[in-house]
Amino acid sequence: MQLKNYGERMDNFIHTIGIEVHAQVKSRSKIFCRCSTGLSNEPNTNICPVCMGFPGTMPSLNVEVVKQAVKAGIALNCKINLESGFARKNYFYPDLPKGYQITQFKLPIAENGFIILSNSKKIRIRRLHIEEDTGKMIHDQNEETLIDFNRAGVPLIEIVTEPDFESSNEAVEYMNRIREILRYTGVSNANFEMGELRGEPNISIRKSRESSLGTKTEIKNLNSLKAMERGIEFEIERQTRILKEGHKVISETMLYNEKKHEVLPMRKKESVSEYRYFIEPDLPNLVIKENFVDELKKSMIELPEQKRERLISTYKISKNESEILTSEKSLADFFEEAIKDIKQTKRAVNFFIREIPAILNNKNIDISELNFTSSDFNYLLKEIDNESINLNSAQIVISEMIKGKGKPLDIIEKLNLKQTNNEDTAMNIINQVISENPKEVERYKKGEDKLFGVFVGLCMKKAKGSIGPAIINKILKKILK
Amino acid sequence: MRVCEITEKYQTKEETPINLLDKIYESIEKDNLNDYISLTKNIAYEEAYQSQKRYKERKPLSKIDGVFFSIKDNIAVENIRMTCGSKILSDFISPYSATVVKRIKENGGIIVGKTNMDEFAMGSSNESSYFGSVKNPADMNYVPGGSSGGSAASVASNHTCISIGSDTGGSVRQPASFCGVVGFKPTYGTISRYGLTAFSSSLDTIGIMSENVKDANTVFQIIRGEDEHDSTLENIEKEKKRYKKIGYIESMPQIDKTVENIYKSRIEDLKKDYEFVKIKMDFIDISISTYQIQTMCETSSNLARFDGIKYGLQLKSGENLREIYSAVRGNGFGNEVKRRILIGTYFLTHKEGKYYELSFELRDYIVNKMDEILKDIDAIMIPTSLTLPFKFNEKMSSPLRMQFSDSLTAFSNLANLPAISINGGYAGKLPCGIQIISKRFDDNNLLEFADAVEKLWGENG
Repeated sequence: MQLKNYGERMDNFIHTIGIEVHAQVKSRSKIFCRCSTGLSNEPNTNICPVCMGFPGTMPSLNVEVVKQAVKAGIALNCKINLESGFARKNYFYPDLPKGYQITQFKLPIAENGFIILSNSKKIRIRRLHIEEDTGKMIHDQNEETLIDFNRAGVPLIEIVTEPDFESSNEAVEYMNRIREILRYTGVSNANFEMGELRGEPNISIRKSRESSLGTKTEIKNLNSLKAMERGIEFEIERQTRILKEGHKVISETMLYNEKKHEVLPMRKKESVSEYRYFIEPDLPNLVIKENFVDELKKSMIELPEQKRERLISTYKISKNESEILTSEKSLADFFEEAIKDIKQTKRAVNFFIREIPAILNNKNIDISELNFTSSDFNYLLKEIDNESINLNSAQIVISEMIKGKGKPLDIIEKLNLKQTNNEDTAMNIINQVISENPKEVERYKKGEDKLFGVFVGLCMKKAKGSIGPAIINKILKKILK
Repeated sequence: MRVCEITEKYQTKEETPINLLDKIYESIEKDNLNDYISLTKNIAYEEAYQSQKRYKERKPLSKIDGVFFSIKDNIAVENIRMTCGSKILSDFISPYSATVVKRIKENGGIIVGKTNMDEFAMGSSNESSYFGSVKNPADMNYVPGGSSGGSAASVASNHTCISIGSDTGGSVRQPASFCGVVGFKPTYGTISRYGLTAFSSSLDTIGIMSENVKDANTVFQIIRGEDEHDSTLENIEKEKKRYKKIGYIESMPQIDKTVENIYKSRIEDLKKDYEFVKIKMDFIDISISTYQIQTMCETSSNLARFDGIKYGLQLKSGENLREIYSAVRGNGFGNEVKRRILIGTYFLTHKEGKYYELSFELRDYIVNKMDEILKDIDAIMIPTSLTLPFKFNEKMSSPLRMQFSDSLTAFSNLANLPAISINGGYAGKLPCGIQIISKRFDDNNLLEFADAVEKLWGENG
């Protein structure tokens, strides 16, 4: 007992986490047949003899999937293998039509990549390979299990890291980065909720003085980043407790329970030989040419990291602002189109960052779903830029545009929001304000300088946005002298 | 029933497709060989009617318009039952057609029915079929060979002109030999396998059975070629060449004396036209082991899809998944199939699949050996089978003995070589096939040579 306590005090536990990510590849048709990958409300409608594994059928590889996998490999700094091969992973399960999954085993299409986290830590990517998805099991109220094969044969890429993570935070950031990269490159829509991006962490812990890794477990069924965070933390605690009690962790697959926020053992983890991997005899090795990879490299757009840095230097925005703007490629594109030809960028950027992300958040929509285009927004920013409209009116314009009430030009005219900046009108308004507030004018003249702002405000209110603050300031100063 | 004979009769109006089809179905019933598992009368008569119309208009679609085909029951024909000779698929209707079947139909061929076979093409006597044995038309007391036993019997008994079979280790050539017809196994990768139920995917080939070599060639030219559904196809055709130098073997352990005598006298017949070179084949034992490991490993995976979930035999009993699987697969598969699945699973599991990997090294060894032998000669000529047809139940009790039936055929699958068996003569009523094997993708020249040989032997009676 004494010794054990002593050990406990002396030892820190080191957490070692690796992640396997499965991402659904964006492609019109499935990986080995021509069935649509589109969403279907009806189960078992996007199926054919090939993806159902009917006797005699054979796979023929969809080249689009190869392109997507290579793009992902490039974006994740991987070495692209010009020759890769397919293998069968054999196991029995009702949602697996052929009794084996076609995947890549010994020769993945890409390997040895990396990603850098915000704490400058390099996460090594061991391999990236192509494979097919399985069907989906649905358990209905009558306790019967139904199978929908629409998903069977949908293309996936699997991205496997080295065990380089030490905390759930790092794991979550990695997932966000992967999601961002896959969306930027158009490789995947990578929606967690739709199951288009699935992360399975494997976790082991060991005492700091031990050099070899501890026994690892794998967590499945993590449907969100929150779940991943909680799942990892729960599992680390569970393993720590086991080790502290002097027991051994066993290698098993754990299942995350969303309602209870806990992980429970699902089954003993299969060893590699239990999957009886062997070369898929129905598919020759996949050979791609150097220039196929080069063409894809050239065609690839700026990646999130590069874009973040460029926006910071081009628009003199903060790192934080840049991260908001680059969180989605479509948002960054919208931003850059909207900010085009604006002279006072600082004001426009601030306005943009204050307005747009909030709208998207409140409405929980994607930028593409807005009722107005980037050129509409660009028009509005230009109006602000040349002082034809003030920021308050611009906000009104936006709220009208969201409702689909028309183009900014029409809204400005209809609501009479344009700043005429007519000096006579300004003079009139100022005179009115002065005559309506004789006492305040007196106090101001006696030295209460702060009242100047109040006058400006009253004038602006009366002007209903037709006159800019600059003009009012100028004239008011003259009059009150 | 030869292709050009019957199409000539159609042209001269001596016969019509429908009339001939009547006669075929009549004799299938009368002869009672059990060579067909399913007859496809409805589609056959419809196709015969269409063909008849085309001949009337003097516009036949191709050389095989109105020609009769039987299809081994492991090859898919749309909306027709495909059993693979197994209980597990005894009610399975295929929703699609194999590429070969499509090509036959597009060219006016008439599909008479689906032929009996060893269960999932595993066997050499057709005795492992769930639908019972097929009788050899040469002598009803003997097996027709296998696994394409029904196909061979259907050609030999004029129950069709052509049969499409499959050959993984000799399943087209050995029954062709036993029934006295031609059996051609082309180079792996020349005919699309799409629609052929996989037994051992790296060795399976579609094969053609016919009365003579010329017919096999005609059909081969129509069904071969690229197919988007089969990625293992290679479009290679070698330059035209007349064969001169042929390899032969002096002796072979375990060979039946009668077979050896027929073989030797047939070689003698050709000696004035061709140069014969003695060759040594010392890798037969190795080829059998290699063949066993590869086919069993691939089978264990290929047959995993028959789980009673999506199609085929379904048994609702069972507390859990495992019980349902074992009920379906335990009931649905025959003993030979189960034996091979179990051994294959063992080979893929034990030592992380080392045996399977090793079998590829052995396969390379055989490839090199055969390439070496064929380097200076055009083809080799050997018996198709070590034995003549045997009687029912003679070998069923010993799977090991049965495996030696593939001794002279399996290595050409392992080395991806084209091979053809043609009838070399008879021992009493029992036919004896002689096999010619040539270089990879030299199928056309092989067929020309085999045609010449067949004619020379024909002249000698």
